[in-house]
Amino acid sequence: MNNDQLYQLAKNWFHAQDWKPFAFQKQSWKAFLQGKNGLLNAPTGSGKTYALWFPIMLNYLKQNPKYKTTHKKGLKAVWITPLRALSHEIKQSAERVNEDLGTGLTVGIRSGDTSAKERAQQKKNMPDLLITTPESLQLLLSSKGYDKTFKNCSAIVVDEWHELLGTKRGVQMELGLSRLKTIAKDLRIWGISATIGNLDQAREVLLGPTSKALQNSVLIKANLNKKIKVKSIIPKEMETFPWRGHLGIRLLEDVIPIINKSKTTLLFTNTRSQCEIWFQKILEKHPEYAGEIAMHHGSINKETRIWVEQAIRRENLKAVVCTSSLDLGVDFAPVETVVQIGGPKGVARFLQRAGRSGHRPGKESVIYFLPTHAIELVEASALQQAVKLKAVEDRIPYLNSFDVLIQYLVTLAISDGFYPDQIFKEVTDTFCFQALSKAQWTWLLNFIVLGSQSLQSYDEYKKVEVESDGRFVVHHRGIAMRHRFQIGTIVGDANLSVRYQRGGYIGTIEESFISKLTPGDVFTFAGRNLEFIRIRDMQVHVRNSTKKTRKVPSWMGGRLTLSAQMSRLLRNELYSVYKDPAQQSSEIKALHPLFEQQGLESAVPKPDEFLIETFKTRDGYHHIFYPFEGRFVHEAMGSLLAYRISLLLPVTFSLAFNDYGFELLSDQEVDMQQVLDNDLFSTAYLLEDLQKSLNSTEMARRKFRDIAVISGLVFTGYPDKGIKMKHLQSSSQLLFDVFREYESDNLLFQQAFTETFEHQLEEGRLRLALERIARQEILWKACNNPTPFSFPIITDRLREKLSSEKLADRIKRMSAKLMRK
Amino acid sequence: MGVLFWEQQSLLLISDVHLGKISHFRKYGAAVPQVALLKNYTALDAAVAFFNPKTICFMGDLFHSAMNSEWKLFQEWTAQVRGKIILVSGNHDIISPLKYEEMGIEVVDQLILNGFLLTHHPQDGGDLFNISGHIHPAVRLRGSGRQSVKLPCFFRSPQQLILPAFGEFTGNHVLKPNKRDTVYAITENEVILVAN
Repeated sequence: MNNDQLYQLAKNWFHAQDWKPFAFQKQSWKAFLQGKNGLLNAPTGSGKTYALWFPIMLNYLKQNPKYKTTHKKGLKAVWITPLRALSHEIKQSAERVNEDLGTGLTVGIRSGDTSAKERAQQKKNMPDLLITTPESLQLLLSSKGYDKTFKNCSAIVVDEWHELLGTKRGVQMELGLSRLKTIAKDLRIWGISATIGNLDQAREVLLGPTSKALQNSVLIKANLNKKIKVKSIIPKEMETFPWRGHLGIRLLEDVIPIINKSKTTLLFTNTRSQCEIWFQKILEKHPEYAGEIAMHHGSINKETRIWVEQAIRRENLKAVVCTSSLDLGVDFAPVETVVQIGGPKGVARFLQRAGRSGHRPGKESVIYFLPTHAIELVEASALQQAVKLKAVEDRIPYLNSFDVLIQYLVTLAISDGFYPDQIFKEVTDTFCFQALSKAQWTWLLNFIVLGSQSLQSYDEYKKVEVESDGRFVVHHRGIAMRHRFQIGTIVGDANLSVRYQRGGYIGTIEESFISKLTPGDVFTFAGRNLEFIRIRDMQVHVRNSTKKTRKVPSWMGGRLTLSAQMSRLLRNELYSVYKDPAQQSSEIKALHPLFEQQGLESAVPKPDEFLIETFKTRDGYHHIFYPFEGRFVHEAMGSLLAYRISLLLPVTFSLAFNDYGFELLSDQEVDMQQVLDNDLFSTAYLLEDLQKSLNSTEMARRKFRDIAVISGLVFTGYPDKGIKMKHLQSSSQLLFDVFREYESDNLLFQQAFTETFEHQLEEGRLRLALERIARQEILWKACNNPTPFSFPIITDRLREKLSSEKLADRIKRMSAKLMRK
Repeated sequence: MGVLFWEQQSLLLISDVHLGKISHFRKYGAAVPQVALLKNYTALDAAVAFFNPKTICFMGDLFHSAMNSEWKLFQEWTAQVRGKIILVSGNHDIISPLKYEEMGIEVVDQLILNGFLLTHHPQDGGDLFNISGHIHPAVRLRGSGRQSVKLPCFFRSPQQLILPAFGEFTGNHVLKPNKRDTVYAITENEVILVAN
């Protein structure tokens, strides 16, 4: 069959379904069959799976014309998905086409959920089409003879590439691809991505910036123009609407009519605890919904989640309270309305959620925004602008993730071993390691072989060994086994599984929450009240309880930041306070009472003004700054400023920040005039000062935790049997201190700082923000009371600290307080 | 890190050194910098030189793991110490007492001396005042302005004193003092009484 005949085959299939292929689908078929690589930009629910499953199968028919009678064995294509939950959906669509075309191809899934038996069978006899996760792909690279498995693989599709791009799992993917490019001679690499700001770069990262694969590639955009309407839920009584908070429960009754009006409504919350609370509260206030509403978040067990997803499809549910766990994948046609509770913090995420509703062609997507506190209405107003302008964020890829590279090298050493010269070439072809130097490479090799940079006495370090022909291998079986367990931990969350005493898995929960409970305590989880019995072998044993409780586990993942685009739009909305009311959004109008109060106590800044507030409460002296640049930039600016002030006088600060501003809290008053006179917002010596302030704040230390786990410096333990996460945490902390003292040139130690600058503190954005402040006029208000703007910040309990005082002096003041207890 | 010196007996009490821990990690493929283990020995040397004790008593958890290459270093260190060495053995001390005794180190489960009971685990000594280790005690201090700091400490209750862990790379455990407890926090250059 020639290509035209093959397209006809595909078109006929679409006709038989009463569908018409989209332009982007036809483009993808063509490019694929021409042997091209590519990135497909298409949203969820657009038929993106058919855009790539088809040419994969057609290619097989082309290669094997006698497919009806003889089946060619062996792996032909790999479909990578970041979420295991999506793999069944993908498998179904592949099987559907397979059957109708009579290709005789088999489809299989391999992920953490796949049984050991099935995995063993797969190893003997790979399915033709394999659906798997980035981690499981790495595990395949750690098994002997993997080159034979992939030899005849013709395609790798990386689904939801935008989700992987800005993460270390993305780096893991880059490395895996670099290997597969060499061993599979006729390989096409395709990515599928939702809309992000840097699509061209996304393609570069996927294929390698200077690779032949990139030269022979295309970028295909689906361009499905969809109308999105954003409606804010504005509190009826603005005067009593709270200034702070993150739950939004107060507006619960405003959501009820929305739920009643549509077939199925999705309520997106930002954290799992918020999700639990909303679910609970809706049922409490409206018991008539029992059985008609459900909850969906990442810590609930798989069966329940799948049940919820199917119930949505069968139109059995009025509403589902969910988290980002429903952001990806599967298409839910019956969803008519989406409610976003609290700021989504990103335009792309908001658009994606909005796109969850009104999937039928020509239908408009409607998304309601429900503010959790007053100032969030400004964000709601800014979001409307953002949706209009399609101001979508970039996903910043990682550079030089040495931890992931170390893990990858040990992976290769476990399976068939590797020759450094060959792997160096492959690795430096990736985006992440394009600037890897020979010296750094040597350092890494020494690290995995010697555990240091030179041979030391009394040392029994053992990991990778070098054979006489120069091959790097792992011989020790225990090391190999521990390493395989470690591969899956790249996301590294400290989770324990929650089970009933007699078995029955309920979900996973963060250890930090459980560690605060004592046996007998009751907490809400997965919509039930559970009594905590004990922790055993990484499992939390519980029983059902009828007692009421207010304890809801919190998950740390929820702290996101505003993007640069959103911050700018947010400031513009704020400045519109001074505009003619006719030009103001309804949200801004609704906020007038708050702005009035703010103006009375302090001021609402104009575009050329930078607001600083100072006041005293029982907690101490508050110094609050409002750059409106997003949490991460504020974290950086806060520690920078705290450090610079601490050079002027011995002082100790505790820092708090949110998306609007940051606070330096101290037990002594800082002379603000002195701060201003000394030009402490200067961009001069920015990096140096930031670095020094970092030593005191603890950001790098936290980054180091994941690095230590990924690179195998600490072992997270065997599933269900391992050392407690707390133990792991403390030993990675101890390690950090040891490195700081004895081996500060260690690449992994330095990586913790680089990551902090590039991914946490967003140094580039910080610099721009400081330059903007330099052009603004400082508006310093010494206030009598906490102001509306300051409220959400000063009540934040999660804090950093920085000190330039002598420890002994601090202790003398503190011990006075200890004794009073 | 802190030690206790009993002047009248010329006895130096050192608890929870956890030698061998770093080598143990390295043996299992975790590349903790090896230089860090020398820190334990320089610190021991400094303490011994400063007090010049007749007897050194290790209060348990002297050697963290099974025998490994660090044992040789420990042997060399013991050989150049002039005073007598006693080990009150702890839960981590799984190396055979015979090995210690070969080097002239006396290994005991507990030691009673002038009304004091020396053990590794904290114990109710009855009439005897108990000195122990094991816990790696630390104290968390809070101040206004939401400040807080965690420091290793000597933790004293009416009939008991728990010593801080001496070793590098050992971690610690925060204890909350009540009214009858006395806490001496350890800072870089001084030991400070923070609660009594």
